[in-house]
Amino acid sequence: MYHIGILQLTQNLDDAVQGFKSGCAELGLPAEFYYKNADGNLMVLPELAANLADLKVDLIFACSTPATVAAAGLDGSIPIVFTPVFDPIGAGLVTSLEHPGGKLTGVAGMVKADAKVAFIHRLLPAAQNLGVLYHAADSNSLLELKHFRQAADPSFHVEEISIQRPEDLSQLADMLPPDLDALFLPIGKIVEDNFATIVYYADAVSLPIITSHAPNVAAGALGALVANHRQLGHDCAAKAARILNGTAPGDIAISIVKQPEIWLNHFAAQNLGITLSADLLSEATEVFE
Amino acid sequence: MRLTPTSVELLAPVGTWEVLEEAIAAGADAVYLGGKRFNMRMHRTDANFDDEMLAKAIKYAHDRNVLLYITVNNLISDRELDSMRSYLRLLEELQPDALIIQDLAVLELARELNITIPLHASVMMNTHNEHAVRTLQDYGISRVVVNREMTLSQVRLLKERTGIEVEYFIHGDMCVAHGGQCLHSGVLFGQSSNRGRCLKGCRWPYQLVDATGKVLSDRDPGPYKLAVKDMCMYLHLPELIQAGVTSFKIEGRMRTAAFVKRIVQVYRRAIDRYIADPTGYTIDPQDWQDLNEGRSRDFSTCYALGKPGTELIGYSGEREPRFFSQAVKEASMSTSAFVPKALPAPNTMAADTGKELAVRVADRASLTAACQHGANIVYIGGEAFKPAKPWTLAEIAEAIDEAAAYNTRIIVTTPRITTERECGELEQFIAAVDRLKPHGLMVSNIGMLRLARQLSSLPLEADFSLNVFNHLTVRWLQSLGVTKATISLEATQEQITDLLDNSSLPLELIVHGSLEAMVLDHCVPSAVLGSDYGCHTLCQDNQYALLDTAGERHPIKIDQYCRNHLLFAKDLCLLPYLQSLAGISRYRIEGQHYTAPQVGLITAIYRQELDQCASQQEDYHFDQALLDKLAAIGPRELGIGTFRYRVSR
Repeated sequence: MYHIGILQLTQNLDDAVQGFKSGCAELGLPAEFYYKNADGNLMVLPELAANLADLKVDLIFACSTPATVAAAGLDGSIPIVFTPVFDPIGAGLVTSLEHPGGKLTGVAGMVKADAKVAFIHRLLPAAQNLGVLYHAADSNSLLELKHFRQAADPSFHVEEISIQRPEDLSQLADMLPPDLDALFLPIGKIVEDNFATIVYYADAVSLPIITSHAPNVAAGALGALVANHRQLGHDCAAKAARILNGTAPGDIAISIVKQPEIWLNHFAAQNLGITLSADLLSEATEVFE
Repeated sequence: MRLTPTSVELLAPVGTWEVLEEAIAAGADAVYLGGKRFNMRMHRTDANFDDEMLAKAIKYAHDRNVLLYITVNNLISDRELDSMRSYLRLLEELQPDALIIQDLAVLELARELNITIPLHASVMMNTHNEHAVRTLQDYGISRVVVNREMTLSQVRLLKERTGIEVEYFIHGDMCVAHGGQCLHSGVLFGQSSNRGRCLKGCRWPYQLVDATGKVLSDRDPGPYKLAVKDMCMYLHLPELIQAGVTSFKIEGRMRTAAFVKRIVQVYRRAIDRYIADPTGYTIDPQDWQDLNEGRSRDFSTCYALGKPGTELIGYSGEREPRFFSQAVKEASMSTSAFVPKALPAPNTMAADTGKELAVRVADRASLTAACQHGANIVYIGGEAFKPAKPWTLAEIAEAIDEAAAYNTRIIVTTPRITTERECGELEQFIAAVDRLKPHGLMVSNIGMLRLARQLSSLPLEADFSLNVFNHLTVRWLQSLGVTKATISLEATQEQITDLLDNSSLPLELIVHGSLEAMVLDHCVPSAVLGSDYGCHTLCQDNQYALLDTAGERHPIKIDQYCRNHLLFAKDLCLLPYLQSLAGISRYRIEGQHYTAPQVGLITAIYRQELDQCASQQEDYHFDQALLDKLAAIGPRELGIGTFRYRVSR
């Protein structure tokens, strides 16, 4: 019987945990799970990680970048399998996806920027001017912005809108450049958490939002191209099994998202007077009414 | 009181199957959970139970002798009624141990469908007096989740007088505002806290400012001035049990299994030890330490032991687990609004009574101004906001006489929140007002409705605080003698249209004025500015407001009971939409926060427009210059509230 610790940032990511557990079950991995959830509170993650270490777990499944950073900060050599860490290299967790070395491996949650750009073309064929709203202190946001900027050129004109702290979103009405066709939100916790404020202002000027965080679609974004967290968790189970069977985590390559999903919001489209194409609707994994 | 092992019920929140198993294993006597029907698949987490899982969960709980309650505690719109009917039929087949309800329409539906499942009143029903409890008992409600502002001694009295089972929150996340009476998220974001979608404007950072906007920062304890700490009654279990609280409710249906398990275990052990040996009981320091270390916010006993003052609030915001929104500039008149092109069919009742204009005023001068400028009805009474004083009986008598000279009717109102003190006073007041013969009484909660029926023969009307969101609620109010109901401030134009089409009573809509986002027992200025100033001079001499990070100033109005009423930063103005609201019987201006000259000018403008709508009908065109005139009158910028949304969620 293996003892596996699960370190979670918020319940929003529980799909990944369920995918991981079901993957372990399918592989016949005899395991007892110890689940620790910070409920969004970043400060308590190191303490929760230490609790898992005290339980002498054989492996930690770390869900989210902060949880992985906390688990990686533990003394000792408990192996860590992570997801949906957006940028494992940028977060300083590993130096290579192919050969991570050390005690970590996992599945990165990044959906490639060129796929997102292509998705926006399909969703809003007439769009030319894109605003990109990001938190300037979030390394994930900065990385995605960089990739997105490259992928969008020259087909979109990109206007970058940065916030330094969450309260800046209160002034978004004054920060949005005129004549935007859509607003794109790269991955980033503060922008995602305060999505209600963003959609409030965007609605007032009939501006469609394309997000990177799946729950934002249900909350009023027009659409998103996102990783299936359950699948990522499931893929992590295979890596965990290899580690528990003796392979060093540092020898297991970090995978990336293979088949991102389309999420759409039909209600938001109607409000904005946008017609969603039949092929997009049929391809979509989730369509919110 | 002789205690038995079943004297107290420990009630745990459940959002997922995993939590269900853990909560029951940890020793919960009962669990409460929600179905998926009214969640509209908004969150893709596994929270809440689909129909099949509901059936399994009930069986799982019953096999382990655990009771299971299902929350059906959202306000529902007319369009959702049929879906609610079929959901209730399903639940009747499944036979959970109770339904926890909010919307008064469910009382109607339960009778219509012969629902045999016991009904419990949700905290969102804002039940805080014995008269309300008796009304609910008449409709088969066997238990109330009493409002969070009630102290244990009030709870004990309520239980003794009515015999109702009391469910009381003992642990978890709390609101700063009175349950079911917070309109902030619903009006601002179109996402109603009364429909399970609160975006928590109470957890924004604010600065306390005076009437001129000057920041009062001398002893500011921190920016999160409305952020209530988590409830924790672990240290006071004996008081809870001896107060006669039947069910100890843990809050947190979205919490994890580990979180719920720990809390249930700790309270289970304490309750069992106390019941086995009450005099020998002491708290378990280890359990207390575990609870404390695993806490998310800091703990408070909230209102259980009396008004907590500054102790209620976590000013630093450091322990806030998550923020759901940042402050926004409220929708102004220029914000694009969704306005349906089709006009509602004229309501025959409205045609009969003409287009009535009602104005709520604070004082005699405003009453005169409203009468002189065309108000058909003036509301007086209820809360008096400092420095205004409450209306004396003599002043009410004079007001009735004065209004009669203008052919204006006077309707006397009652406060929204009426706990023990106010009930005692209102018993005397209603009987006295009855003799003064105003044209009616407008009540603000179901307890006052019952009291008014008993003590008065005046026509009764229902205020907006009764949360009328569908026509069955109207019908329920009608069955209790109400002759006119006020539509919820959270309803959008589409929802209003549906309501008008089906209503059995004339309906009133608030079309202009200073609206209250929240009602709080917590006094913000006295908590922030401290006691050195002397509490009474604090609010007698000064006016306060909360300034948010979007630069919006929300006035704090303090009533004669020291409650704080937090206003929206912008005043509602539906003048441009009057024509599309043709089916409304009575239009109201909430003018109690205006000066008399402002009341007069605004009344005159609405009078003129309503008359024009009636006489010109299809030829009517709105004159934009009128809006500029209205904006110039003040005192605040004008906004459109929920009217920017197609559907209020």
